[in-house]
Amino acid sequence: MTATGGFRLPAQPGELIDRSRLLPFTWNGQRHVGLAGDTITSALAADGVRVFSRSFKYHRPRGILTASYIDPGVTVQVDDEPNVRASHRRLAAGMTVTRQNAWPSLRYDVGTANQLVGRFLTAGFYYKTFIKPQRLWPAYESVLQRFASGGRLSGDSVHGYYDKRYAHPDVLVAGGGPAGMGAALAAAQAGARVMLVEEEHELGGSLRWGGVEELALLSELRAAVAAAGVEVLVDSVVAGRYDDNWVSVLQRGLPEVQERLVKARVKTLVVAAGLIERPFVFSGNDLPGVMLGTAVRRLVNLYAVRPGTRAVVLSANPEGDAAVADLRRAGVEVAAVVDARRGEDIHRALGKREVTGVELADGSRVDCDLLVTSIGWTTPTSLLNMAGDRPRFDAAAARFRPTDDLPASVLAAGGIVGDGTPEELVAHGRGVGAAAAGRAGFGGPSLADLPPPLTGRPHPGLFRGRTHGMVDFSEDVSSKDILSAAREGYDSAELVKRYTTATMGPSQGKLETVNTIAVLAEATGSTIAELGTTVWRPPYAPITLGALAGRIFQPVRYSPMQAWHEAHGAQPLVAGMWIRPDHYGDPAAEVRTVRERVGIIDVTPLGKLDLRGPDVPRLLNAVYVNKWSKLEVGSVRYGVMCAEDGVVMDDGVTGRLGPDRYLMSTTSSGAAAVWEHLEGWLQTERPEWQVHVTPLTTSYASINIAGPRSRELLARLTEGVDLSAEAFPYMRVRAGRIAGVDDCFMWRIGFTGELSYEIHVPASFGLHVWEALLDRGRDLGAAAFGVEAQRILRLEKGHLIVAQDTDGLTKAFDAGLDALVKLDKDDFIGRRELVWSHERGSAYTLVGLQPVDGSVVPPEACQIVRGANTIVGRITSSRMSPTLGRSVCLGYVLAELAGPGSLVTVQLPDGARIQATVMPHLAHIDPEGRRLRV
Amino acid sequence: MGSGRRTAPPRSGFRRQPRRGSRRARYSALGLLTHGLAHRQWPRVWHDHDLASSYDVIIIGAGVHGLATAYYLAANHGIRNVAVLDRAYLGGGGSGRNTAIIRANYLTPEGVRFYDRSVRLYETLAADLNFNVMFSQRGHLTLAHDDGSLRTMRWRAEVNKLEGVDSEVIGPDEVKRLVPVMDVSAETRYPILGALYHPPGGTVRHDAVNWGYARGADAHGVQIHENTEVLGIDVEGGRVRGVRTSRGDVSAPVVVNCTAGWSSLVCALAGVPLPISTHPLQAAVTEPVKMFLKTVVVSGTLHVYVSQTDRGELVFGASTDPYPSYSMRGSLEFTEELAGHVLELMPSIAKLRLLRQWAGLCDMTPDFSPIMGVTPVDGFLVDVGWGTYGFKAGPVAGEAMAELVATGRTPDLIAAFDLARFAEGRLVGEKGAAAVGH
Repeated sequence: MTATGGFRLPAQPGELIDRSRLLPFTWNGQRHVGLAGDTITSALAADGVRVFSRSFKYHRPRGILTASYIDPGVTVQVDDEPNVRASHRRLAAGMTVTRQNAWPSLRYDVGTANQLVGRFLTAGFYYKTFIKPQRLWPAYESVLQRFASGGRLSGDSVHGYYDKRYAHPDVLVAGGGPAGMGAALAAAQAGARVMLVEEEHELGGSLRWGGVEELALLSELRAAVAAAGVEVLVDSVVAGRYDDNWVSVLQRGLPEVQERLVKARVKTLVVAAGLIERPFVFSGNDLPGVMLGTAVRRLVNLYAVRPGTRAVVLSANPEGDAAVADLRRAGVEVAAVVDARRGEDIHRALGKREVTGVELADGSRVDCDLLVTSIGWTTPTSLLNMAGDRPRFDAAAARFRPTDDLPASVLAAGGIVGDGTPEELVAHGRGVGAAAAGRAGFGGPSLADLPPPLTGRPHPGLFRGRTHGMVDFSEDVSSKDILSAAREGYDSAELVKRYTTATMGPSQGKLETVNTIAVLAEATGSTIAELGTTVWRPPYAPITLGALAGRIFQPVRYSPMQAWHEAHGAQPLVAGMWIRPDHYGDPAAEVRTVRERVGIIDVTPLGKLDLRGPDVPRLLNAVYVNKWSKLEVGSVRYGVMCAEDGVVMDDGVTGRLGPDRYLMSTTSSGAAAVWEHLEGWLQTERPEWQVHVTPLTTSYASINIAGPRSRELLARLTEGVDLSAEAFPYMRVRAGRIAGVDDCFMWRIGFTGELSYEIHVPASFGLHVWEALLDRGRDLGAAAFGVEAQRILRLEKGHLIVAQDTDGLTKAFDAGLDALVKLDKDDFIGRRELVWSHERGSAYTLVGLQPVDGSVVPPEACQIVRGANTIVGRITSSRMSPTLGRSVCLGYVLAELAGPGSLVTVQLPDGARIQATVMPHLAHIDPEGRRLRV
Repeated sequence: MGSGRRTAPPRSGFRRQPRRGSRRARYSALGLLTHGLAHRQWPRVWHDHDLASSYDVIIIGAGVHGLATAYYLAANHGIRNVAVLDRAYLGGGGSGRNTAIIRANYLTPEGVRFYDRSVRLYETLAADLNFNVMFSQRGHLTLAHDDGSLRTMRWRAEVNKLEGVDSEVIGPDEVKRLVPVMDVSAETRYPILGALYHPPGGTVRHDAVNWGYARGADAHGVQIHENTEVLGIDVEGGRVRGVRTSRGDVSAPVVVNCTAGWSSLVCALAGVPLPISTHPLQAAVTEPVKMFLKTVVVSGTLHVYVSQTDRGELVFGASTDPYPSYSMRGSLEFTEELAGHVLELMPSIAKLRLLRQWAGLCDMTPDFSPIMGVTPVDGFLVDVGWGTYGFKAGPVAGEAMAELVATGRTPDLIAAFDLARFAEGRLVGEKGAAAVGH
């Protein structure tokens, strides 16, 4: 292979290639050299490569069709990236490019056998076979899976760097052709901030492959756009338009950033997407060497590639005629021009591996290696569609055209609206751009008027010729498939699409939809206008998951004491947003420290909400099941919250710090949900209540000091608060100074079952207070304990954990909270369900359980069973108790089994069964609570 | 329970017709061969009919629930004078928009039994319908990223095992073996601690299920009327008399509402209020790549579920949108969050491209369980409230609703799902297992 390539033409006026920069790369292991500015396809085509892939179902050879992003047959693997659009992707030195869908090689492809049996592999054939025997379906399925199209992902790929950007342009123009450039220019000149987005690598659209005059106009427009201060994004695509002109733009080809998602809130969106050339349906239309007129024009003019040697051209419009001129100029022999405007037609393309000739309508044959069709256009109305427009089919112009059914903030310009010379398209763009700026508030209201719309020029309606051919090239769906699907009854646009998978492939119908509808119209005796199109869904162009995800931000929360935990060997525990110390090496020892001396635990993640205002008691009465009206200043109370369905959703302690001031604590995992719950209630149900809720969870570091020596320890550090049992009894709250830190709160509560104080100190001083406690408690044997020790301690004490010892079904009475629920209270959340629940009684009861064999710890979630497989309860918490030297559990059992001393059967995960005894109390130690109240 | 109090008409009210000779050509590999050789056209899968002035049973909604109900009415009970009405095309609502995941690994014994019956029906559906629905029992993994969800997985596994359903809790190594592309390292933000593995779970080709039931029902004489919108439901003296449609009025002693997305609006036509709020549920699909993901993967913590189709595309879903809406437009934010979460699990697939997004509507009930059976209007039955779990229940719901219509008795399998439970405080509660557990 040579650097110049056998098919490279001499310099062309509009060529994008830099002949001085050679880029070596490999294609299926063969070395090639392209030029800077080449696409992968143009570089290979310059070397005479014609077959780029095998089709999905029949494994037919495929070549260049459109030479643009949506080229269906030239999707390749580049290094570890699958499904690269080779007709769009710029060549880079060192690329390893490989085929997809061909095994063992493009020339000898085993799947080609499918071609021979193609007659039997009609659309939806898989619904009709592999039915029996059922046991063989998995084997059939794995064969089908092997034929899945697409490239290969590498498990070693790294996520890479993806970025996002927010933008707020006044006017965003989608499409950088003549109309789009005109629109951007006019809007910018009116004073608007304009973003111009072009899918290809440079502005210009069809001007780029025009003659001298078009190229002159193009350079004039490019200069003007640059001078006007328009922000130009090339190799970028407007992927979606969402409500309120929330527009997503995918920006590609940035240095170091693989793809960038630009999210723009746009005042006026101008859609100037131009037109997409539509393939013609006839036998052999997918053979390599059959190309669209625009593909020829791109290859010759942009990349100086001669697309063939001897050509036949089917032309129905000036673009086709221009392709003929391009071919002649490029030295391609034009063997025949078939002019569809004069009623001339081709019958079929001939050839097996590539096109070798054409059979014309009169039966005569012309040899050629290139068959070019220019038979009409598809209007890419996708973005207009997303804005609410339902385009109408204009039979005279043979394409869909937008209606005016658009919000004022979305306008269409240029070829998408109608036909015109380049100058007319620019002028229309300018008019629309000025109106767009006007609607965005620039240049005065008079400018907001739209220019007269472009009209659609008459164009022959050519969709399918006299033979059957491919309608969907990526999905291998032929016109015959569509006809037979329609005759079978899949005869609406949606059903035929779903049954044949036409339009479902990578180009999402940009090439295929109109032809599909046309063939369906033929099958059902209706018209394209009557059938309409299917709904275009975002995104307009595919976006990598990496770009959508961006840099993944998953915030992590640490308490101010994290550094200490890490320095002391804490095992981390992921607890929602938080990372917490699970233990420091020996949870059982940590338990003994608390039971015998004093331990401290970092409980910063506990939810903390500051509640202020005269209506706080009403709020508390509404959200908790118990009563709050009489809570005195300086007191705390335990409360349980239920959802509307009576199911326990959270619990915690709330204290009254002053007449109108309360501090609510929630579970660590429920902190955010409870805040939302309170705000939801206050903002929607009781907006008249005067309550301010301020989340303080991260503003305070929280430490629980637990154990018989906890009072002694805390007293050493506390100023201004009398900690004696008489002055500061159980379930009270005090404010004061701890270790020199003001504005600390102390609650005397006890989750562990020991005398304990929960202190909340301003977060910046958390580590200081933590270290001071350990330092001053050294002679008392004070040590830190982690979450695991706390779980053991609370289980020994029989305190439940919401969402562990309750679940999505547990109502307050089921969890044994009978004493807490005050049904005589005015309405509260969940009351109605709880009244029913109370009347019916609970099916299940939460009980303390001890396995008969105290050395066995049944894993949590083991089921309690009766007979063969009847479920009569389950274990919710279980641990080996260091204090008792045996296993202890909490669990639910049927009410009839809940009597103390009753024996139940627990099924272990391995199927073995053990016996456990129902205990008289939930608490396995100190059921009377003496240790708490010392 | 509310079973049997208000009923469909007595059994004698229906004309039970013997099974006719099948009008349809059987599908088989041999058939494909002979049709291909002879260039013979396959017969229509279902037929167009004029709308008659009366039927024995009218089913509103030609999705999987309506079509399955019609099919089983005809196939199991010989009730063939049945019309299925749909305001648009067949299978175009939730039945064509879901992510087609089938599983039975629910939490409550009632739920497990119900969905297990559905899985078993799906297992033989291709043969029963002579239509390959491509039920791919490739296994279903629900990941646990914290000890709380691991506990819930074990709970589900233990209940499943006791109900005879194959489920087990597996560790990160086993997860890695099943899904090599998964990042099971401890360094991720939400490390994978284990998973609930449910081998019989998998995916199905949802359109094929709809079409297979439609073809089967049609062959039994059921009439399917597309583009026939129900505009009113006539109720006299507490009994349903028929429906008014965009193609004329039709009378029937039994009307079954099998709609989704608009079920509360359809019920309102009969004066029956439903405790339903409708939320969009979004989904998305990528370009195809070669097979690399052979099981269904669900993560509740990361709000995502994903499977790879036989065509090679990844199909994604998430939780329902947090606000009620009838809009079926997708949002950008959905795709961003989805991609972020998927890449947390499988960081090496960042270069895969998202091709298309869409949304469907989910009728959410307070207890995340459906509403099936009788209503205060005699003869007006409902099979609604299917939230995010409707497709996987299509066969069993159809079978049970057909039995209810034919016998006038509520089958035990659906007794817990009656409408009266909301007034009587008997919620079912599959919240935990249904929330993101598709």
